[in-house]
Amino acid sequence: MSFELFSNLVGAFFTLCIFSFLYKDNPFYQMAEQLLVGISLGYGLVLTYTRVFVPFLYQPMILKQQWILIIPSIMGIFYILRFNRKLSWLSRYPIAFSMMGVGASVPLSMHTFILVQMRQAMVPLESVNLALIFIGTIAVLLYFFFSKAHTGVYGKFVDVGKWYMMIGFGASFGLTVMARISLLIGRIQFLVNDVFGALK
Amino acid sequence: MNFFERIQALDRRWIYIVVALAIVIPLMIPYNSDNVTTPPTENLYQMIDSFAGREDRAILLSFYHDASTMPELFPMEIAILRHCFERNVKVFTLTWLPSGAPVIDFAINSVKEEYPNIVSGVDYCNFGYIPGTLAMPTVIGMGDNIAATVKTDAEGRKIESLPIMKGINNYSEMNLAVEFSGSVAGSYWIVYARPKFGLNVAVGVTAVMAADQYPYLQSGQFIGMLAGLKGAAEYEKLVDVFGAYREPDSPITVQTDEDGNKIVPGRPFSRELLQDESTKELINITTQNIATFSPADYEAFTAKYPEKKAVFDAIKTMDNGKVKIDVTQVSKAQQDEMGPLAWKDLNRMTRNILYKFKVARIGMNAQSVAHIMIIVFIILGNIGYFISKSRQAKK
Repeated sequence: MSFELFSNLVGAFFTLCIFSFLYKDNPFYQMAEQLLVGISLGYGLVLTYTRVFVPFLYQPMILKQQWILIIPSIMGIFYILRFNRKLSWLSRYPIAFSMMGVGASVPLSMHTFILVQMRQAMVPLESVNLALIFIGTIAVLLYFFFSKAHTGVYGKFVDVGKWYMMIGFGASFGLTVMARISLLIGRIQFLVNDVFGALK
Repeated sequence: MNFFERIQALDRRWIYIVVALAIVIPLMIPYNSDNVTTPPTENLYQMIDSFAGREDRAILLSFYHDASTMPELFPMEIAILRHCFERNVKVFTLTWLPSGAPVIDFAINSVKEEYPNIVSGVDYCNFGYIPGTLAMPTVIGMGDNIAATVKTDAEGRKIESLPIMKGINNYSEMNLAVEFSGSVAGSYWIVYARPKFGLNVAVGVTAVMAADQYPYLQSGQFIGMLAGLKGAAEYEKLVDVFGAYREPDSPITVQTDEDGNKIVPGRPFSRELLQDESTKELINITTQNIATFSPADYEAFTAKYPEKKAVFDAIKTMDNGKVKIDVTQVSKAQQDEMGPLAWKDLNRMTRNILYKFKVARIGMNAQSVAHIMIIVFIILGNIGYFISKSRQAKK
Protein backbone atom coordinates (compact mmCIF):
# COMPACT_ATOMS: atom_id res chain seq x y z
CA MET A 1 0.00 0.00 0.00
CA SER A 2 1.47 3.35 -1.01
CA PHE A 3 1.79 6.17 1.50
CA GLU A 4 -0.62 8.30 -0.54
CA LEU A 5 -3.31 5.62 -0.48
CA PHE A 6 -2.77 5.04 3.25
CA SER A 7 -3.05 8.77 4.03
CA ASN A 8 -6.17 9.02 1.86
CA LEU A 9 -7.73 6.07 3.68
CA VAL A 10 -7.01 7.72 7.03
CA GLY A 11 -8.60 10.93 5.70
CA ALA A 12 -11.62 8.98 4.43
CA PHE A 13 -12.07 7.20 7.77
CA PHE A 14 -12.11 10.44 9.74
CA THR A 15 -14.37 12.14 7.18
CA LEU A 16 -16.90 9.34 7.67
CA CYS A 17 -16.46 9.60 11.45
CA ILE A 18 -17.40 13.29 11.30
CA PHE A 19 -20.31 12.63 8.92
CA SER A 20 -21.64 9.99 11.33
CA PHE A 21 -22.79 12.88 13.57
CA LEU A 22 -25.56 13.50 11.03
CA TYR A 23 -27.16 10.28 12.26
CA LYS A 24 -26.51 10.92 15.94
CA ASP A 25 -23.72 11.69 18.37
CA ASN A 26 -21.41 8.68 18.74
CA PRO A 27 -17.92 7.70 20.00
CA PHE A 28 -16.40 7.78 16.49
CA TYR A 29 -17.46 11.39 16.04
CA GLN A 30 -16.17 12.29 19.52
CA MET A 31 -12.82 10.65 18.79
CA ALA A 32 -12.46 12.43 15.41
CA GLU A 33 -13.43 15.79 16.91
CA GLN A 34 -10.93 15.52 19.74
CA LEU A 35 -8.19 14.27 17.47
CA LEU A 36 -8.81 17.24 15.16
CA VAL A 37 -8.33 19.70 18.03
CA GLY A 38 -5.17 17.98 19.24
CA ILE A 39 -3.62 17.51 15.81
CA SER A 40 -4.42 21.10 14.77
CA LEU A 41 -2.64 22.41 17.86
CA GLY A 42 0.35 20.11 17.37
CA TYR A 43 0.57 20.91 13.65
CA GLY A 44 0.36 24.64 14.37
CA LEU A 45 3.09 24.41 17.00
CA VAL A 46 5.50 22.54 14.73
CA LEU A 47 4.81 24.83 11.78
CA THR A 48 5.26 27.92 13.93
CA TYR A 49 8.57 26.54 15.22
CA THR A 50 9.95 25.59 11.78
CA ARG A 51 8.56 28.48 9.75
CA VAL A 52 8.62 31.33 12.28
CA PHE A 53 10.94 30.66 15.22
CA VAL A 54 13.82 29.13 13.24
CA PRO A 55 13.99 31.51 10.22
CA PHE A 56 12.96 34.71 12.00
CA LEU A 57 14.67 34.35 15.40
CA TYR A 58 17.05 31.40 15.78
CA GLN A 59 18.91 31.72 12.46
CA PRO A 60 19.40 35.50 12.43
CA MET A 61 20.15 35.80 16.16
CA ILE A 62 22.21 32.70 16.91
CA LEU A 63 23.81 31.98 13.52
CA LYS A 64 24.15 35.54 12.19
CA GLN A 65 24.63 37.23 15.59
CA GLN A 66 21.93 39.86 15.05
CA TRP A 67 21.63 40.48 18.80
CA ILE A 68 19.17 43.33 18.35
CA LEU A 69 16.53 40.63 17.96
CA ILE A 70 16.77 40.00 21.71
CA ILE A 71 14.46 43.01 22.22
CA PRO A 72 11.50 41.69 20.17
CA SER A 73 12.06 38.18 21.55
CA ILE A 74 11.82 39.51 25.13
CA MET A 75 8.69 41.40 24.10
CA GLY A 76 7.31 38.12 22.79
CA ILE A 77 8.12 36.34 26.06
CA PHE A 78 6.14 39.05 27.88
CA TYR A 79 3.01 37.73 26.15
CA ILE A 80 3.48 34.34 27.83
CA LEU A 81 3.72 36.02 31.24
CA ARG A 82 -0.01 36.65 30.99
CA PHE A 83 -0.43 33.28 32.68
CA ASN A 84 1.54 34.42 35.74
CA ARG A 85 -0.57 36.42 38.20
CA LYS A 86 2.34 38.52 39.51
CA LEU A 87 3.93 39.29 36.13
CA SER A 88 0.89 39.42 33.89
CA TRP A 89 1.10 43.23 33.79
CA LEU A 90 4.17 42.88 31.54
CA SER A 91 2.00 41.41 28.77
CA ARG A 92 0.49 44.88 28.27
CA TYR A 93 3.75 46.16 26.77
CA PRO A 94 3.78 43.98 23.63
CA ILE A 95 0.05 44.67 23.23
CA ALA A 96 0.71 48.41 23.48
CA PHE A 97 3.58 48.07 21.00
CA SER A 98 1.36 46.25 18.51
CA MET A 99 -1.08 49.17 18.67
CA MET A 100 1.44 51.02 16.53
CA GLY A 101 0.21 48.95 13.60
CA VAL A 102 -3.38 49.90 14.38
CA GLY A 103 -2.41 53.57 14.38
CA ALA A 104 -0.67 53.22 11.04
CA SER A 105 -3.64 51.50 9.46
CA VAL A 106 -6.36 53.93 10.62
CA PRO A 107 -5.85 56.69 8.02
CA LEU A 108 -5.33 54.24 5.15
CA SER A 109 -8.31 52.13 6.21
CA MET A 110 -10.43 55.28 6.42
CA HIS A 111 -9.38 56.08 2.86
CA THR A 112 -10.03 52.59 1.49
CA PHE A 113 -13.13 51.50 3.33
CA ILE A 114 -14.96 54.81 3.69
CA LEU A 115 -13.74 57.61 1.42
CA VAL A 116 -13.28 55.61 -1.79
CA GLN A 117 -16.54 53.73 -1.19
CA MET A 118 -18.37 57.05 -0.58
CA ARG A 119 -16.86 58.56 -3.70
CA GLN A 120 -18.28 55.71 -5.76
CA ALA A 121 -21.74 56.44 -4.35
CA MET A 122 -21.45 60.06 -5.55
CA VAL A 123 -20.97 59.47 -9.26
CA PRO A 124 -23.46 60.89 -11.83
CA LEU A 125 -26.56 58.68 -12.07
CA GLU A 126 -26.01 57.67 -15.67
CA SER A 127 -27.44 54.16 -15.47
CA VAL A 128 -30.22 52.31 -13.67
CA ASN A 129 -27.66 50.40 -11.60
CA LEU A 130 -26.06 53.60 -10.31
CA ALA A 131 -29.49 55.05 -9.48
CA LEU A 132 -30.38 51.88 -7.57
CA ILE A 133 -27.09 52.02 -5.65
CA PHE A 134 -27.70 55.69 -4.82
CA ILE A 135 -31.27 55.10 -3.57
CA GLY A 136 -30.17 52.02 -1.63
CA THR A 137 -27.29 53.81 0.09
CA ILE A 138 -29.48 56.74 1.21
CA ALA A 139 -32.44 54.56 2.25
CA VAL A 140 -30.31 52.11 4.27
CA LEU A 141 -28.39 54.91 5.99
CA LEU A 142 -31.67 56.62 6.93
CA TYR A 143 -33.06 53.32 8.26
CA PHE A 144 -30.38 53.44 10.95
CA PHE A 145 -31.12 57.09 11.77
CA PHE A 146 -33.24 56.64 14.88
CA SER A 147 -33.67 60.28 15.94
CA LYS A 148 -36.75 60.58 13.74
CA ALA A 149 -39.75 58.24 13.94
CA HIS A 150 -40.21 55.98 10.90
CA THR A 151 -43.67 57.31 10.01
CA GLY A 152 -45.42 58.92 7.03
CA VAL A 153 -43.57 59.46 3.75
CA TYR A 154 -40.25 59.29 5.57
CA GLY A 155 -41.25 55.93 7.06
CA LYS A 156 -42.17 54.60 3.62
CA PHE A 157 -38.80 55.69 2.22
CA VAL A 158 -36.81 54.04 5.02
CA ASP A 159 -38.89 50.89 4.41
CA VAL A 160 -37.20 50.81 1.02
CA GLY A 161 -33.92 50.58 2.92
CA LYS A 162 -35.31 47.62 4.84
CA TRP A 163 -36.15 45.89 1.54
CA TYR A 164 -32.65 46.53 0.25
CA MET A 165 -31.26 44.87 3.36
CA MET A 166 -33.66 41.94 2.98
CA ILE A 167 -32.42 41.40 -0.56
CA GLY A 168 -28.85 41.62 0.75
CA PHE A 169 -29.58 39.01 3.43
CA GLY A 170 -31.20 36.78 0.81
CA ALA A 171 -28.10 37.05 -1.39
CA SER A 172 -25.90 36.28 1.61
CA PHE A 173 -28.03 33.27 2.50
CA GLY A 174 -27.89 31.95 -1.07
CA LEU A 175 -24.12 32.37 -1.17
CA THR A 176 -23.79 30.72 2.25
CA VAL A 177 -25.77 27.70 1.04
CA MET A 178 -23.50 27.59 -2.01
CA ALA A 179 -20.39 27.69 0.17
CA ARG A 180 -21.57 24.94 2.52
CA ILE A 181 -22.61 22.72 -0.37
CA SER A 182 -19.19 23.37 -1.95
CA LEU A 183 -17.49 22.08 1.20
CA LEU A 184 -19.61 18.93 1.08
CA ILE A 185 -18.84 18.55 -2.63
CA GLY A 186 -15.13 18.87 -1.85
CA ARG A 187 -15.31 16.09 0.73
CA ILE A 188 -17.35 13.81 -1.51
CA GLN A 189 -14.98 14.45 -4.43
CA PHE A 190 -12.15 13.46 -2.10
CA LEU A 191 -13.95 10.27 -1.05
CA VAL A 192 -15.10 9.32 -4.54
CA ASN A 193 -12.09 10.40 -6.58
CA ASP A 194 -9.00 10.30 -4.38
CA VAL A 195 -9.99 7.34 -2.25
CA PHE A 196 -12.07 5.12 -4.45
CA GLY A 197 -10.73 6.38 -7.77
CA ALA A 198 -14.18 6.09 -9.24
CA LEU A 199 -14.08 9.44 -11.07
CA LYS A 200 -12.01 9.91 -14.20
CA MET B 1 -51.89 14.07 8.42
CA ASN B 2 -51.64 15.58 4.91
CA PHE B 3 -48.58 15.77 2.66
CA PHE B 4 -47.36 19.16 3.87
CA GLU B 5 -47.73 18.23 7.54
CA ARG B 6 -45.75 15.08 6.89
CA ILE B 7 -43.03 17.10 5.17
CA GLN B 8 -42.83 19.45 8.13
CA ALA B 9 -42.61 16.54 10.58
CA LEU B 10 -40.01 14.72 8.45
CA ASP B 11 -36.94 13.46 10.30
CA ARG B 12 -33.97 15.62 9.28
CA ARG B 13 -31.91 12.52 8.51
CA TRP B 14 -34.06 11.83 5.48
CA ILE B 15 -33.18 15.30 4.22
CA TYR B 16 -29.46 14.56 4.74
CA ILE B 17 -29.81 11.42 2.63
CA VAL B 18 -31.54 13.36 -0.16
CA VAL B 19 -28.84 16.08 -0.05
CA ALA B 20 -26.10 13.44 -0.17
CA LEU B 21 -27.73 11.72 -3.17
CA ALA B 22 -28.24 15.06 -4.93
CA ILE B 23 -24.49 15.60 -4.70
CA VAL B 24 -23.09 12.10 -5.14
CA ILE B 25 -25.08 11.20 -8.27
CA PRO B 26 -23.96 14.21 -10.41
CA LEU B 27 -20.39 13.62 -9.23
CA MET B 28 -20.47 9.94 -10.14
CA ILE B 29 -22.16 10.60 -13.49
CA PRO B 30 -20.67 13.84 -14.85
CA TYR B 31 -22.60 15.56 -17.64
CA ASN B 32 -21.63 18.39 -19.92
CA SER B 33 -23.00 21.72 -18.78
CA ASP B 34 -22.11 25.32 -19.47
CA ASN B 35 -21.05 27.94 -16.94
CA VAL B 36 -21.87 31.44 -18.11
CA THR B 37 -18.88 33.61 -17.32
CA THR B 38 -19.41 36.89 -15.47
CA PRO B 39 -17.55 40.22 -15.86
CA PRO B 40 -15.60 40.00 -12.55
CA THR B 41 -14.07 36.69 -13.70
CA GLU B 42 -13.54 37.86 -17.28
CA ASN B 43 -11.84 41.05 -16.10
CA LEU B 44 -9.38 39.11 -13.95
CA TYR B 45 -8.70 36.67 -16.77
CA GLN B 46 -8.04 39.49 -19.23
CA MET B 47 -5.77 41.32 -16.81
CA ILE B 48 -3.61 38.22 -16.25
CA ASP B 49 -3.69 37.40 -19.95
CA SER B 50 -2.42 40.88 -20.84
CA PHE B 51 0.88 39.89 -19.12
CA ALA B 52 1.36 36.83 -21.39
CA GLY B 53 4.93 36.36 -22.55
CA ARG B 54 6.16 39.63 -21.04
CA GLU B 55 9.47 39.77 -19.18
CA ASP B 56 8.49 42.99 -17.42
CA ARG B 57 5.18 41.86 -15.98
CA ALA B 58 4.28 39.40 -13.22
CA ILE B 59 1.44 38.55 -10.90
CA LEU B 60 1.47 37.78 -7.19
CA LEU B 61 -0.81 35.11 -5.73
CA SER B 62 -1.45 35.35 -2.00
CA PHE B 63 -2.72 32.09 -0.50
CA TYR B 64 -4.35 33.51 2.63
CA HIS B 65 -6.14 30.33 3.70
CA ASP B 66 -5.58 26.83 5.00
CA ALA B 67 -7.04 23.44 4.15
CA SER B 68 -10.51 24.24 5.55
CA THR B 69 -11.50 26.39 2.55
CA MET B 70 -9.66 24.38 -0.10
CA PRO B 71 -12.77 22.92 -1.80
CA GLU B 72 -13.67 26.40 -3.04
CA LEU B 73 -10.34 28.18 -3.29
CA PHE B 74 -8.00 25.45 -4.50
CA PRO B 75 -9.68 25.02 -7.95
CA MET B 76 -9.30 28.80 -8.47
CA GLU B 77 -5.60 28.64 -7.66
CA ILE B 78 -5.10 25.67 -9.95
CA ALA B 79 -6.96 27.42 -12.78
CA ILE B 80 -4.95 30.65 -12.46
CA LEU B 81 -1.61 28.82 -12.18
CA ARG B 82 -2.53 26.77 -15.24
CA HIS B 83 -3.39 29.96 -17.13
CA CYS B 84 -0.02 31.47 -16.19
CA PHE B 85 1.95 28.35 -17.15
CA GLU B 86 0.07 28.03 -20.45
CA ARG B 87 0.50 31.68 -21.39
CA ASN B 88 3.96 32.22 -19.95
CA VAL B 89 3.02 34.71 -17.24
CA LYS B 90 5.51 35.10 -14.40
CA VAL B 91 4.02 34.14 -11.04
CA PHE B 92 5.03 34.90 -7.46
CA THR B 93 3.32 33.23 -4.52
CA LEU B 94 3.22 33.88 -0.79
CA THR B 95 1.09 33.18 2.26
CA TRP B 96 0.54 34.98 5.55
CA LEU B 97 -0.46 31.74 7.31
CA PRO B 98 1.90 28.91 8.34
CA SER B 99 -0.71 26.39 7.23
CA GLY B 100 -0.98 28.12 3.84
CA ALA B 101 2.56 27.11 2.85
CA PRO B 102 1.73 23.44 2.13
CA VAL B 103 -1.26 24.60 0.08
CA ILE B 104 1.05 26.63 -2.20
CA ASP B 105 3.36 23.65 -2.67
CA PHE B 106 0.42 21.37 -3.39
CA ALA B 107 -1.08 23.78 -5.93
CA ILE B 108 2.17 24.44 -7.79
CA ASN B 109 3.17 20.76 -7.87
CA SER B 110 -0.30 19.69 -9.06
CA VAL B 111 -0.16 22.04 -12.06
CA LYS B 112 3.55 21.63 -12.74
CA GLU B 113 3.12 17.89 -13.35
CA GLU B 114 1.58 18.78 -16.72
CA TYR B 115 4.20 21.43 -17.59
CA PRO B 116 7.65 19.86 -17.43
CA ASN B 117 9.22 22.96 -19.03
CA ILE B 118 8.15 25.22 -16.17
CA VAL B 119 11.06 25.93 -13.83
CA SER B 120 11.11 27.31 -10.28
CA GLY B 121 12.97 30.61 -10.12
CA VAL B 122 12.51 31.17 -13.85
CA ASP B 123 8.78 30.95 -14.55
CA TYR B 124 7.54 31.16 -10.98
CA CYS B 125 8.88 31.94 -7.55
CA ASN B 126 7.42 30.93 -4.21
CA PHE B 127 8.17 33.41 -1.40
CA GLY B 128 6.61 30.90 1.00
CA TYR B 129 5.34 31.80 4.41
CA ILE B 130 5.71 35.38 5.58
CA PRO B 131 4.30 35.96 9.10
CA GLY B 132 1.03 37.88 9.09
CA THR B 133 2.51 40.36 11.56
CA LEU B 134 4.95 41.37 8.82
CA ALA B 135 2.21 41.82 6.22
CA MET B 136 2.09 45.61 6.40
CA PRO B 137 5.86 46.25 6.00
CA THR B 138 6.07 43.54 3.35
CA VAL B 139 3.18 44.90 1.26
CA ILE B 140 4.53 48.46 1.49
CA GLY B 141 8.16 47.40 1.03
CA MET B 142 7.49 45.47 -2.17
CA GLY B 143 6.16 48.70 -3.63
CA ASP B 144 9.72 50.04 -3.52
CA ASN B 145 11.78 46.93 -4.10
CA ILE B 146 10.65 43.32 -4.02
CA ALA B 147 14.10 41.73 -3.70
CA ALA B 148 15.05 44.04 -0.83
CA THR B 149 11.84 43.25 1.06
CA VAL B 150 11.54 39.50 0.54
CA LYS B 151 15.18 38.50 0.55
CA THR B 152 14.88 34.74 0.03
CA ASP B 153 12.31 32.41 -1.47
CA ALA B 154 10.82 29.31 0.18
CA GLU B 155 13.80 27.27 -1.01
CA GLY B 156 16.23 29.68 0.64
CA ARG B 157 17.58 31.17 -2.62
CA LYS B 158 18.37 34.87 -2.84
CA ILE B 159 15.50 36.52 -4.71
CA GLU B 160 17.67 39.12 -6.44
CA SER B 161 19.78 36.44 -8.15
CA LEU B 162 16.83 34.50 -9.61
CA PRO B 163 16.25 34.74 -13.39
CA ILE B 164 12.55 35.51 -12.82
CA MET B 165 13.56 38.87 -11.32
CA LYS B 166 14.92 40.07 -14.65
CA GLY B 167 12.78 43.10 -15.43
CA ILE B 168 10.84 42.85 -12.16
CA ASN B 169 11.55 45.41 -9.43
CA ASN B 170 8.35 46.49 -7.70
CA TYR B 171 4.62 46.94 -8.25
CA SER B 172 5.25 48.81 -11.51
CA GLU B 173 6.09 45.40 -12.96
CA MET B 174 4.42 42.97 -10.55
CA ASN B 175 1.27 44.88 -11.25
CA LEU B 176 -1.42 42.50 -10.02
CA ALA B 177 -2.00 40.85 -6.65
CA VAL B 178 -4.66 38.16 -6.34
CA GLU B 179 -5.51 37.09 -2.83
CA PHE B 180 -7.40 33.87 -2.07
CA SER B 181 -9.09 33.89 1.28
CA GLY B 182 -12.07 32.67 3.24
CA SER B 183 -12.17 35.83 5.35
CA VAL B 184 -10.94 39.36 4.64
CA ALA B 185 -9.49 38.86 1.17
CA GLY B 186 -7.46 41.64 -0.36
CA SER B 187 -7.63 44.05 2.57
CA TYR B 188 -3.85 44.40 3.03
CA TRP B 189 -3.46 45.10 -0.66
CA ILE B 190 -6.22 47.66 -1.08
CA VAL B 191 -5.29 49.44 2.15
CA TYR B 192 -1.50 49.59 1.85
CA ALA B 193 -0.57 48.96 -1.79
CA ARG B 194 -3.35 50.23 -4.02
CA PRO B 195 -3.61 53.84 -2.75
CA LYS B 196 0.15 54.38 -2.60
CA PHE B 197 1.45 52.38 -5.56
CA GLY B 198 -1.60 51.88 -7.78
CA LEU B 199 -1.33 48.10 -7.56
CA ASN B 200 -4.18 46.23 -9.23
CA VAL B 201 -5.90 43.93 -6.76
CA ALA B 202 -8.23 41.00 -7.33
CA VAL B 203 -9.58 38.36 -4.98
CA GLY B 204 -10.73 34.78 -4.94
CA VAL B 205 -13.14 34.30 -2.07
CA THR B 206 -15.43 31.67 -0.64
CA ALA B 207 -19.07 32.18 -1.56
CA VAL B 208 -19.89 33.13 2.05
CA MET B 209 -17.59 36.15 1.80
CA ALA B 210 -18.56 37.18 -1.73
CA ALA B 211 -21.49 39.39 -0.66
CA ASP B 212 -19.13 41.39 1.58
CA GLN B 213 -16.60 41.88 -1.22
CA TYR B 214 -18.92 43.05 -4.01
CA PRO B 215 -18.92 46.73 -2.84
CA TYR B 216 -15.15 46.90 -3.44
CA LEU B 217 -15.63 45.44 -6.88
CA GLN B 218 -18.30 48.03 -7.64
CA SER B 219 -16.04 50.85 -6.46
CA GLY B 220 -13.20 49.59 -8.67
CA GLN B 221 -10.83 48.78 -5.80
CA PHE B 222 -10.86 45.17 -6.97
CA ILE B 223 -10.34 44.72 -10.68
CA GLY B 224 -11.88 41.25 -10.58
CA MET B 225 -13.23 38.61 -8.27
CA LEU B 226 -13.75 34.87 -8.27
CA ALA B 227 -16.69 34.03 -6.02
CA GLY B 228 -16.75 30.49 -4.65
CA LEU B 229 -16.88 27.36 -6.74
CA LYS B 230 -18.81 29.23 -9.46
CA GLY B 231 -15.94 31.68 -9.94
CA ALA B 232 -13.47 28.80 -10.12
CA ALA B 233 -15.63 27.00 -12.70
CA GLU B 234 -15.84 30.15 -14.83
CA TYR B 235 -12.07 30.62 -14.75
CA GLU B 236 -11.47 26.95 -15.65
CA LYS B 237 -13.71 27.43 -18.67
CA LEU B 238 -11.89 30.57 -19.83
CA VAL B 239 -8.54 28.80 -19.62
CA ASP B 240 -9.87 25.91 -21.72
CA VAL B 241 -11.41 28.18 -24.34
CA PHE B 242 -8.50 30.61 -24.68
CA GLY B 243 -5.28 29.95 -22.74
CA ALA B 244 -5.01 26.18 -23.28
CA TYR B 245 -6.51 26.19 -26.77
CA ARG B 246 -4.24 25.01 -29.58
CA GLU B 247 -4.84 25.13 -33.32
CA PRO B 248 -3.83 21.85 -35.03
CA ASP B 249 -0.88 23.60 -36.68
CA SER B 250 0.34 25.54 -33.65
CA PRO B 251 3.06 24.34 -31.24
CA ILE B 252 2.00 23.42 -27.72
CA THR B 253 4.79 25.24 -25.89
CA VAL B 254 6.32 28.73 -26.01
CA GLN B 255 8.51 29.34 -29.08
CA THR B 256 10.82 32.24 -29.95
CA ASP B 257 11.19 33.95 -33.31
CA GLU B 258 14.49 34.94 -35.03
CA ASP B 259 14.67 38.14 -32.94
CA GLY B 260 14.26 36.21 -29.69
CA ASN B 261 10.68 37.40 -29.11
CA LYS B 262 8.36 34.92 -27.45
CA ILE B 263 5.48 33.41 -29.42
CA VAL B 264 3.00 32.51 -26.72
CA PRO B 265 0.60 29.67 -27.51
CA GLY B 266 -3.14 29.90 -26.86
CA ARG B 267 -5.35 32.75 -28.01
CA PRO B 268 -6.49 36.06 -26.48
CA PHE B 269 -9.87 36.59 -24.83
CA SER B 270 -12.79 37.33 -27.13
CA ARG B 271 -16.41 37.67 -26.05
CA GLU B 272 -17.68 36.75 -29.53
CA LEU B 273 -15.68 33.54 -29.44
CA LEU B 274 -17.00 32.75 -25.99
CA GLN B 275 -20.57 32.87 -27.30
CA ASP B 276 -19.68 30.88 -30.41
CA GLU B 277 -21.15 27.38 -30.75
CA SER B 278 -17.70 25.92 -31.49
CA THR B 279 -16.51 26.60 -27.93
CA LYS B 280 -18.89 23.90 -26.64
CA GLU B 281 -16.49 21.27 -27.99
CA LEU B 282 -13.71 22.75 -25.85
CA ILE B 283 -15.48 22.67 -22.50
CA ASN B 284 -16.85 19.12 -22.35
CA ILE B 285 -16.20 17.76 -18.88
CA THR B 286 -16.95 14.18 -19.84
CA THR B 287 -13.96 12.13 -21.01
CA GLN B 288 -13.06 12.82 -24.66
CA ASN B 289 -11.00 10.21 -26.52
CA ILE B 290 -11.32 11.12 -30.20
CA ALA B 291 -9.28 13.79 -31.96
CA THR B 292 -11.27 15.09 -34.93
CA PHE B 293 -9.66 16.99 -37.81
CA SER B 294 -10.74 18.34 -41.17
CA PRO B 295 -8.39 16.92 -43.86
CA ALA B 296 -6.59 20.27 -44.09
CA ASP B 297 -6.19 20.47 -40.31
CA TYR B 298 -4.87 16.90 -40.24
CA GLU B 299 -2.24 17.78 -42.82
CA ALA B 300 -1.29 20.89 -40.83
CA PHE B 301 -1.08 18.85 -37.62
CA THR B 302 1.07 16.08 -39.06
CA ALA B 303 3.30 18.63 -40.82
CA LYS B 304 4.64 19.51 -37.36
CA TYR B 305 5.93 15.94 -37.00
CA PRO B 306 6.90 14.91 -40.57
CA GLU B 307 8.89 11.86 -39.45
CA LYS B 308 5.89 10.56 -37.45
CA LYS B 309 3.35 10.93 -40.27
CA ALA B 310 3.31 7.20 -40.98
CA VAL B 311 2.28 6.46 -37.37
CA PHE B 312 -0.56 8.98 -37.52
CA ASP B 313 -1.70 7.61 -40.90
CA ALA B 314 -1.77 4.09 -39.45
CA ILE B 315 -4.10 5.03 -36.58
CA LYS B 316 -6.43 7.48 -38.33
CA THR B 317 -9.92 6.65 -39.55
CA MET B 318 -12.22 8.58 -41.90
CA ASP B 319 -15.78 9.41 -40.86
CA ASN B 320 -18.10 11.78 -42.77
CA GLY B 321 -15.17 13.48 -44.43
CA LYS B 322 -13.41 14.06 -41.09
CA VAL B 323 -10.18 12.47 -39.95
CA LYS B 324 -10.55 10.83 -36.55
CA ILE B 325 -8.02 9.31 -34.19
CA ASP B 326 -9.19 7.43 -31.10
CA VAL B 327 -6.38 7.78 -28.56
CA THR B 328 -7.62 4.75 -26.58
CA GLN B 329 -6.84 2.59 -29.63
CA VAL B 330 -3.21 3.73 -29.83
CA SER B 331 -0.90 0.96 -28.63
CA LYS B 332 2.04 1.54 -26.29
CA ALA B 333 4.46 0.79 -29.12
CA GLN B 334 2.76 3.40 -31.32
CA GLN B 335 2.92 5.92 -28.48
CA ASP B 336 6.64 5.27 -28.10
CA GLU B 337 7.12 5.62 -31.84
CA MET B 338 5.22 8.90 -31.77
CA GLY B 339 7.33 10.36 -28.97
CA PRO B 340 6.07 12.18 -25.85
CA LEU B 341 5.60 15.59 -27.48
CA ALA B 342 3.54 14.35 -30.44
CA TRP B 343 1.54 12.06 -28.12
CA LYS B 344 0.79 14.98 -25.81
CA ASP B 345 -0.15 17.16 -28.78
CA LEU B 346 -2.49 14.46 -30.12
CA ASN B 347 -4.16 14.16 -26.72
CA ARG B 348 -4.64 17.92 -26.69
CA MET B 349 -6.52 17.64 -29.98
CA THR B 350 -9.11 15.36 -28.34
CA ARG B 351 -10.02 18.44 -26.25
CA ASN B 352 -10.10 16.18 -23.21
CA ILE B 353 -9.70 18.05 -19.93
CA LEU B 354 -7.73 16.50 -17.08
CA TYR B 355 -9.75 15.92 -13.93
CA LYS B 356 -7.79 18.43 -11.84
CA PHE B 357 -8.56 21.15 -14.39
CA LYS B 358 -12.33 20.59 -14.30
CA VAL B 359 -12.92 19.88 -10.59
CA ALA B 360 -14.93 23.06 -10.09
CA ARG B 361 -17.14 22.43 -13.12
CA ILE B 362 -17.92 18.88 -12.01
CA GLY B 363 -18.65 20.33 -8.57
CA MET B 364 -20.96 22.93 -10.12
CA ASN B 365 -23.07 20.14 -11.64
CA ALA B 366 -23.68 18.80 -8.15
CA GLN B 367 -24.14 22.35 -6.90
CA SER B 368 -26.91 22.99 -9.46
CA VAL B 369 -28.81 19.83 -8.49
CA ALA B 370 -28.44 20.61 -4.78
CA HIS B 371 -29.66 24.18 -5.29
CA ILE B 372 -32.76 23.05 -7.17
CA MET B 373 -33.46 20.57 -4.40
CA ILE B 374 -33.05 23.21 -1.68
CA ILE B 375 -35.36 25.61 -3.56
CA VAL B 376 -37.99 22.84 -3.75
CA PHE B 377 -37.59 22.20 0.00
CA ILE B 378 -37.98 25.91 0.77
CA ILE B 379 -41.10 26.23 -1.41
CA LEU B 380 -42.68 23.08 0.06
CA GLY B 381 -41.83 24.19 3.59
CA ASN B 382 -43.38 27.63 3.02
CA ILE B 383 -46.55 26.24 1.42
CA GLY B 384 -46.91 23.78 4.29
CA TYR B 385 -46.37 26.52 6.84
CA PHE B 386 -49.02 28.82 5.35
CA ILE B 387 -51.54 25.98 4.90
CA SER B 388 -51.17 24.88 8.53
CA LYS B 389 -51.37 28.51 9.65
CA SER B 390 -54.60 29.11 7.72
CA ARG B 391 -56.09 25.88 9.16
CA GLN B 392 -55.27 26.97 12.66
CA ALA B 393 -56.88 30.34 11.96
CA LYS B 394 -60.09 28.61 10.74
CA LYS B 395 -60.24 26.48 13.88
